[in-house]
Amino acid sequence: MFLHYIDLGWRSLRRTPLVSFLMVLAIALGIGITMTSLSVYHMMSMDPIEHKSSRLFHPQLQTMDDGEDTWSEDNLPYQLTYQDAKNLAEAPFPQYKAAMLRTGFTVHMDNSEIRPFIQNTRVTHSDFFTLFDLSFLYGSAWTQEQADAASPVAVISEELNEKLFGGENSVGRQIYLDDTSFRIVGVIAPWQTHMKFYDVNNGAFNSQEGIYIPFSLIAAMDINTWGNSNGWKFENIRSMKDKRQSEIFWLQFWVQLEDEAAVSQYGDYLMSYMAEQQKFGRFNREQLEYGLRDVNAWLDYRNVVSEDNEVLVALSFMFLAVCLANILGLLLAKFMRRAPEVGVRRALGASKRQVFLQHIIEVSMLGLIGGLLGIGIAQLGLWGVRLTQEYYSPLATMDLSMLLSAPVIAISACVIAGLYPAWLVCRTTPATYLKTQ
Amino acid sequence: MLEIKPIINALRRSKVGAILLLIQIAITTAIVSNAAFIIQDRMTYLQQETGYPEQDIFSITVMTYGKDRDLSQQFEEDEVLLRNLPGVVDASLSNAVPLSGSGSASGMGLKPAPEPGRNVRAGYLFGDDHMLNTLGVKLTQGRNFAPDEVIVTQDPGKVPNVAIASSTFVEEAYPDGDGLGKLMYMGDKPFKIIGIVDKMKGPWLKDDRPDNVVIFPYIKAETYQHIIVRTEPGQRAAVMQTVEDKLLAAYDKRVFTNVITLDENKRQYNASDTLMLRMLMVLIVVLVAITALGIFGLTLFNISKRTRQIGTRRALGARKSDIIRYFLVENTLICSGGLIIGCTAAVLMGQQLLQRFSLPALELQYIAGTAVMVLVMTLLAVIFPARRAAQISPSVATRSI
Repeated sequence: MFLHYIDLGWRSLRRTPLVSFLMVLAIALGIGITMTSLSVYHMMSMDPIEHKSSRLFHPQLQTMDDGEDTWSEDNLPYQLTYQDAKNLAEAPFPQYKAAMLRTGFTVHMDNSEIRPFIQNTRVTHSDFFTLFDLSFLYGSAWTQEQADAASPVAVISEELNEKLFGGENSVGRQIYLDDTSFRIVGVIAPWQTHMKFYDVNNGAFNSQEGIYIPFSLIAAMDINTWGNSNGWKFENIRSMKDKRQSEIFWLQFWVQLEDEAAVSQYGDYLMSYMAEQQKFGRFNREQLEYGLRDVNAWLDYRNVVSEDNEVLVALSFMFLAVCLANILGLLLAKFMRRAPEVGVRRALGASKRQVFLQHIIEVSMLGLIGGLLGIGIAQLGLWGVRLTQEYYSPLATMDLSMLLSAPVIAISACVIAGLYPAWLVCRTTPATYLKTQ
Repeated sequence: MLEIKPIINALRRSKVGAILLLIQIAITTAIVSNAAFIIQDRMTYLQQETGYPEQDIFSITVMTYGKDRDLSQQFEEDEVLLRNLPGVVDASLSNAVPLSGSGSASGMGLKPAPEPGRNVRAGYLFGDDHMLNTLGVKLTQGRNFAPDEVIVTQDPGKVPNVAIASSTFVEEAYPDGDGLGKLMYMGDKPFKIIGIVDKMKGPWLKDDRPDNVVIFPYIKAETYQHIIVRTEPGQRAAVMQTVEDKLLAAYDKRVFTNVITLDENKRQYNASDTLMLRMLMVLIVVLVAITALGIFGLTLFNISKRTRQIGTRRALGARKSDIIRYFLVENTLICSGGLIIGCTAAVLMGQQLLQRFSLPALELQYIAGTAVMVLVMTLLAVIFPARRAAQISPSVATRSI
């Protein structure tokens, strides 16, 4: 019966090519535009580390004096000072934690084969790789002894390994970062996400760093950040040592907390840490305060999804509604004109339900064709997005879930639009139409 | 005269078609007026004057890893090399590139820190006495830096004591208009405003104070260093092609990461706005086309349903113009209803956008303009089917009986 309805629907669509074309066009444009903005939105708001995003937390400390403001919505600074990041990272609790910052070096091999180039570098603790579930192709993270001794060792990305060593096992080889020779101890597999969720300060969708080196090198090599530094009071900073002892915010910090109990325990720990620091004359304020957000709450808090994109998604769904109103009108016209034919079918014994179903299947076919065409239009739109905004390139694509949801949205939209016309036409009383013929 | 009553009676009998039209017109009005407003807002933003001859300026970013040369010395030589290149007007080291989205800003105090006092936020640039000429901005008051005022140093303790500032900054710091020659403080370090530039934008066009810029005569060569170059009109591309090789030939233990024009820098910084602009434009065009097609289709359908009724009216003495007028008036009635709902929806939507997002408040003239446009568009969409209806011969009415 289903196939028969499909056949009937196809015939009906072919009988009025212009109207069918207009309807398909309307749904395809509606879906195309909606899917373009929705795909970007989907990629932007995706959970970057699904299996453990609710166990990773970014602590924030309210270290500013009373009366000082920063621009976050709850007035908590986004980043930590060097002293706090270092102290928290050296605390016994919890098991996995890493402070970090982004810097960069000129990478060269001290020969003329590879032209020197600049590479973003993350300076962090070795827990970084455990926290974010990075797997090693070769080697492993640096050891605690290497970290304690501030040894010049580095973990590099697969991409960089490909570029410098043609993809072979490079553990033990040397590279030069500026003029310091580093020994490679590990090569990590590519990240599973397009989002740099662990440091969204300078664009959450830039690619991840190619080099990772021990945190202890910040002090040993006087490494400065290539990201944001935000101060809130006047401090005379003349050297990197001054900066490390200052109240300037310039580091990110992540911890892994397994359950509710660990979260509240860590909260208590942060409070007692701040109270203790107050004894040294820091945190000149009445009320101590901290923030502890998991990955998704953090991304939401940092407004990773652009406002423009949210506006566009809202507008394109309204646009889809206009397309639907349009289709509804056309369907109404088309079905009502066919009322005499339906009258004959009803008189020959077709039930209301069958007539209704037949028409719903016809509009579903419209939706399917429109949805598939809509994917094409969306691809065109996404191509335009990539062309206009290079930074969005990793985002302006449709993943499988978006490819599948395009026809689903299209079909459900068409069915919703078709309900009323189909209901109207199945109520046709055969007698009226039989009479006039 | 306009036969409004019979029209309304007729509409009552075929409600659904009219309601659908009404909904389409309402949503279209709401979307188009808000989108047009956002477009206008972004256009103004994107086309704003920056004060710089953007088409003649480019910047170079250099990362030096060699330690065998004195950086200050090297960059002094580079500047001379650049300034002597054919086609180059001037060049200057800088800590940041205007319009690029990266740079430094600070509160400039009227009192030395830590004394409490008013602070005025400004983006700041470090450059030498060639900086103004390199940026192509004009002094309106005061004077340029003298060569001996420029501090070339690696010692963070030595700082300049004069500065040139944008007029917007000086006016905010000294609203009475007597800022020239006054002292200000960055931290506890005083500087005197010796020159005022009428218009120049800072590193961030989206800063809450994009026009506040202060230039200090200070050169502290860094391993990560920007150089800004201005060329003769039309010479920029040629200069940019060879500049990297020439600088590398002078000293090769460094990497040139970014040889980029100022307009390209600005374009990249503003890419998301351009994207929004284009998406909204596509949306508006397609939306208007779809709505027009919808109205066109529905009117055609209405007419085909009413062929006999029209024939009867014609047979009873109605002129062709009466028939056309009937459809125009009918359409105007539906359209007015849709516009009333649409305008209300537009205002509500504007309020929502204002509340949730950092968008400015919707100006009412955009709604009015959109309403007029939608009305004209619907009338145009109706005229063709209405004329076709008018062609229906009176004999149709009699034939099928």
